[in-house]
Amino acid sequence: MTMRMTRRNVLAGGAALLSYSVLASSALSQEARLRLLWWGSQARADRTNKVNQLFQSANTNVAINGEFLGWSDYWPRLATQVAGRNAPDIIQMDYRYIVEYARRGALAPLNDYLGSVLKVDDFDQVQIEGGSVDGKLYGVSLGANSATMLVNVAAFEEAGIELPTPSTTWDDMARIGAEITKAGKRKGFFGLADGSGVEPLLENWLRQRGKALFTADGKIAYDANDAAEWFAMWAAMREAKACVPPDIQALDQFNVETSPLSLGKSATSYAHSNQLVAYQGINKDKLALSNHPLIGKGAKGGHYRKPSMFFSVSAQTKDPELGAKYVNFFVTDPKAAEILGVERGVPESKAVREGLAPTLDELGRAALDYVSGLGPLAGALPPPPPSGAGEAELALRTVAEQVGFGQLDVKQGGETLVNEVTQILSRG
Amino acid sequence: MAAVQDSAMAVGRGAQARPAAQGRFAALWTKHGAGYMFLLPWLVGFFGLTLGPAVASLYLSFTSFDLIRSPEWVGAANYVRIATADPKFAASLKVTFLYVVLSVPFKLAFALLVAILLNRGIKGLTVYRAIFYLPSLLGGSVAIAVLWRQLFAGDGLINSLLAQVGIEGPSWISHPDYSIWTLVVLSVWQFGSPMIIFLAGLRQIPTDMYEAASLDGASKFRQFYKITLPLLTPVIFFNAVVQTIEAFKAFTPAFIISGGTGGPINSTLFYTLYLYQEAFGNFRMGYASALAWILVLIIGLFTAFSFLTSRYWVHYDD
Repeated sequence: MTMRMTRRNVLAGGAALLSYSVLASSALSQEARLRLLWWGSQARADRTNKVNQLFQSANTNVAINGEFLGWSDYWPRLATQVAGRNAPDIIQMDYRYIVEYARRGALAPLNDYLGSVLKVDDFDQVQIEGGSVDGKLYGVSLGANSATMLVNVAAFEEAGIELPTPSTTWDDMARIGAEITKAGKRKGFFGLADGSGVEPLLENWLRQRGKALFTADGKIAYDANDAAEWFAMWAAMREAKACVPPDIQALDQFNVETSPLSLGKSATSYAHSNQLVAYQGINKDKLALSNHPLIGKGAKGGHYRKPSMFFSVSAQTKDPELGAKYVNFFVTDPKAAEILGVERGVPESKAVREGLAPTLDELGRAALDYVSGLGPLAGALPPPPPSGAGEAELALRTVAEQVGFGQLDVKQGGETLVNEVTQILSRG
Repeated sequence: MAAVQDSAMAVGRGAQARPAAQGRFAALWTKHGAGYMFLLPWLVGFFGLTLGPAVASLYLSFTSFDLIRSPEWVGAANYVRIATADPKFAASLKVTFLYVVLSVPFKLAFALLVAILLNRGIKGLTVYRAIFYLPSLLGGSVAIAVLWRQLFAGDGLINSLLAQVGIEGPSWISHPDYSIWTLVVLSVWQFGSPMIIFLAGLRQIPTDMYEAASLDGASKFRQFYKITLPLLTPVIFFNAVVQTIEAFKAFTPAFIISGGTGGPINSTLFYTLYLYQEAFGNFRMGYASALAWILVLIIGLFTAFSFLTSRYWVHYDD
């Protein structure tokens, strides 16, 4: 195969080059550019891009370059870009990482813009504090969410079982799970997803017992007995076939697409309330949100409302004020709010929330009602997780699998987990 | 104007002062310049993208570096920790050795088998060769890893087929006893490139040897054992070294199939995957660099060992 230079080739190539250079120069001629990086699904990308267009039509001298990735690819990308002095101007940030990024000087403090460019007076004060590190504001919450149990309504109805209520206990769930499995309305179908390795679920259960995952000074806040009891509860459910077997649960990569619920293996799964939009997007059966089960009758819930994610402005940006302006537009503009809905959580601004409520569809309504209706089930926001928390989460998953596949008994599992997490946290 | 003329003259004088040196350079340039120009893309790539980062990572392996703050010199602390206090290092090494020991022999045996079948002078050899080579081009890709997940999952194609004969299989890909095997099968399926090399090797063997052997009454099996295998040993050796290095470096399949966790229970935690987790998941770039250099060392030792033992079993014609 040889390539010959013909008059037509050269002309076509030249035309292509010319159009590239025209495109490039038109982008360069803008006065300001903002690069934006976030994680999330296609549904989130569509909404974000629409808001960006809206912002650009109101600020014609600004060009926004948005880019998105899945959660697990997002953090390596962000870390390498920050290390390469090539950080995006606007960074979607998580409660898990904001302390590390802020303390390492990667984020710009936004206090100077409060009240002038950034108008967050009617935000829930707790959520503002959630985005603050060492007394300075580094992240503006894009919405509140809470951990949730997703329920496949159709599967419950088929099995003739009533949906869980706010007072449903874990004992009830064990019974319900076994009944759904026993009803056998679907092939290879089980009542519950195995939540023994799901960190937010363990956290909820611990909080109901007056404990937590981590202390404020970054140490482990539960002991081997707690963990062993947790594993024992799940071992009993596994035994009774109330939940999926371990090899099915191990398919779960803790994202929307691979959860046992989405794979059609179980009637429940564990997620965060704002993810209802994404889950319903790929599930044919109607889904509903329920709070996590209680450890006993009359127990106080272990839930809390947390900032589902933040927008932070990079410390490397040329124009932090423009960044603050964009973030403000994103969280306070009524039209932007209508596009975004509750996909990133329930808006923090009271005015935006009230304006948004009548425009929501059934799904958005359900997510909003869930978060605002938690009442006494919700407690205080825990301190941000210490560094090493990501590793601790993987350790929980691995030990839960070791117990699930029978390599460790529940007591050994409890001890192993507490040992590993303690070691991880001491290393930092 | 005058100044310009002056400096121009100065340049002229300078040039006259070193005619010999320039002449030599010009001569060298005329002789080798074009060659170096052709080499330039590779040279830039090698120094800029391979050697530079490799040297940098050697330095980083003696530091604590979280990607955001500047690297901090810690001496040999990373290496000490790897050697004494890292259970995941041992676990990942075990998984990787298992993978190398299982996948390389199976892959080479399968590649040789297909090469021998293709070497029987069948019609349309080039077409078959291309088809059999195809998995090697695709096998390392993300798409195939995703496909593999679908095939070997609980209700995947493999279990549907097994169900036809009454076997109820587990979710192979997410069961700690079987997950490594699905990766070995994926590796064996990419037998194309050693097969092509085997095929070329088989064609080098003079046919008169087989003719002589048949006349003497040697069976096909004996011919294979006494003629084909010994004469093919240089090719087997080459393939074994290359495939072993490839197997040590394998990353994508385990990353995609386990969702980056190396699970279930670290059963697919390849060394490279653990290295990646440390670097980009836990932001310990210094520690990950030390892990990388240990991998270089291990691969180097393996290769050296292969070359040392080769004199006892590899037969060269000359």
